[in-house]
Amino acid sequence: MPNLTRRHLLAATASAMVLPNMALAQDPQAILRAAFDNWRASSSHTVAEMTVRNATGTNTLTMESWTEGRDKALVRFIAPARDAGNATLQSGRRTYVFNPKLNQVIQLPASAMSQSWMGSDFSYNDLTKTEQLVNDYTHTLLETRRQNGRTVYVIESMPKRGKPIVWGKQIIHVRDDYVLLRQEFYDQSGNLVRSMVAERVRNLGGRPYPAEIKMSSAATPGQWTRIVTRSAEFNSALPSYLFTRSNLQNPR
Amino acid sequence: MLVSFAWRNIWRQPVRTVLSLVGLALSSLLLVFMLSLQYGAYDAMKVGALGLLDGFGQFQPEGYTDDPDVSRLLPNWETLVDSARQDGVVIATPRAGSFAIMASGDISFGAAVMGVDPVTEPAVSSLPATIIEGRYLVEGDAAVIVMGEGLVRNLGLSVGDSVTMLGTGNGGAVAANVLELVGIFKTGVSQLDRQITQMPLAQFQEDYNLGDSVNVVAMRGLDFNAVAAAAPALAQLAQEEGAVYLRWDELLPEVKQMIDLDNSILLLMYGVMISVVVFILLNTLYMSVLERTREFGGLMAIGMRPAQIGAMVWLELIFLALLGVGMGSALGVGLTLWIAQVGINFPGIEELFRQWGITGEVFPVLSWFSATAGPGIIALSIIVLGLIPYRHIKGLAPVKAMGAA
Repeated sequence: MPNLTRRHLLAATASAMVLPNMALAQDPQAILRAAFDNWRASSSHTVAEMTVRNATGTNTLTMESWTEGRDKALVRFIAPARDAGNATLQSGRRTYVFNPKLNQVIQLPASAMSQSWMGSDFSYNDLTKTEQLVNDYTHTLLETRRQNGRTVYVIESMPKRGKPIVWGKQIIHVRDDYVLLRQEFYDQSGNLVRSMVAERVRNLGGRPYPAEIKMSSAATPGQWTRIVTRSAEFNSALPSYLFTRSNLQNPR
Repeated sequence: MLVSFAWRNIWRQPVRTVLSLVGLALSSLLLVFMLSLQYGAYDAMKVGALGLLDGFGQFQPEGYTDDPDVSRLLPNWETLVDSARQDGVVIATPRAGSFAIMASGDISFGAAVMGVDPVTEPAVSSLPATIIEGRYLVEGDAAVIVMGEGLVRNLGLSVGDSVTMLGTGNGGAVAANVLELVGIFKTGVSQLDRQITQMPLAQFQEDYNLGDSVNVVAMRGLDFNAVAAAAPALAQLAQEEGAVYLRWDELLPEVKQMIDLDNSILLLMYGVMISVVVFILLNTLYMSVLERTREFGGLMAIGMRPAQIGAMVWLELIFLALLGVGMGSALGVGLTLWIAQVGINFPGIEELFRQWGITGEVFPVLSWFSATAGPGIIALSIIVLGLIPYRHIKGLAPVKAMGAA
């Protein structure tokens, strides 16, 4: 175990400095940990547009989100008027949604976690399962490839025995500066179910960031959800009331 | 002459003959009744299980079974409803459905929400008749809901309370409303009672951004088999409107599989029963043939040909078989007709039956098949296998036969 702890420390240091570290190259779990830490930092505040293309048409929503640590997140929709005010709060293992029409906060039951989030190709689980991916899977470094002049790690993550996970496996591509480039979800028989691809990486809030990501399901070609991050700010101090139920219902 | 000999011969051993006849009659009676009861139970199962919620058939948009998404809309559903009614399907009802979170205070559960037409729904589904508290939906209802007893208990609600519904509507819009619980149903199928809720179709269409559209049309007829027989016409109709038609065995394949499994097991059992009866009877008759070898030798000595004697013994067998089987069938038909009037109860396993949609008494259904198949096979087997003693007798020589013990 001491070995593992040292690796974690290394990972934390590396992500803090956003420096490629050769020692990490050998440890896929540390690479993933660093990638998620790069994505969310110790805290983040972003404004993004989510475009959903489904059978009935295309719909764009604007949302403002805040995250803190590994298990706190708040997403509030601010446009268009039809959807403005809807918000989702993740705090620890619990997920709450607020609907302005009802003026009510609802804690999501476990059975609803796999449902679509705001009609998108993301589920509520996607908002909360990053920790699970790091801890409840066994990771193997499949390949280290060169892509556009950079090193990309291709990691295969298999669920650990006995963990309640719906996927058969995931394949994750992480660039050497810990930007998540691609995440593929496979079912138990090894068929690709859906994939999330970083279509554009740019500098946001002082770090390389997957500024445009697209999620699409294999079963519904031509339908997808794209999230374009407009602005981002990392590691700033967030007020403690932000991730509370009362703030979810009555934002200060 | 052979006929009268044969008839006289079977009554030379009245006890043996009566015992054989009783055996044949009882097994025939049992077969007629069991087959009728079995098919009656299957009919009850189909009508009960499908009539509870799914209907005897459904029009659906393509791909809806695999992915029942609220945004999969049924094209030209009004035309489908009208044409189906003309096609002899007594009634059709439009429905919409989605998944939603039902919340009350801090408790929330996922549930299926159905938007139904309060007027036509009770004619297709028996769920509205299982209300145990409050009332079912009525015309003119707006923001109200009825729920299964299990879900109500989980949410800690009672009739008159408000419940919050949050789901995703057509096109990804948030579907949210506060609804008043007006009724609680208990179908006895625990899965349905825990997961199903129903609200007025018009309100559902508004909350889920559906306009005038629906997801499926469910149908029911007075006669289950008439609807089943209309399947090709209904499928044709669906195809013309760009939809698909789902037969009962596609809606609830588990009911069909259950029936097939049960049927195979019972047919195997009948097969064993028929074999036992037939072989026991043949054994008795063959023994009686053997002990009559001397008599046959005598008959041959006075000029009867072996083939004639064989035919006589064969005729004895045929008389016995037809008599026993005939009496048994008649009694079986009588018993079945009587039970078909009063029904038959199976105390102790009502719960199991209810999961398969059977409530209360089961009524056997007499058909030409159930009345004749079992007894027919018994009689035919005996007549065919009766050729064995016939062959034996044909091979007898008079002197040797007369010398037999």
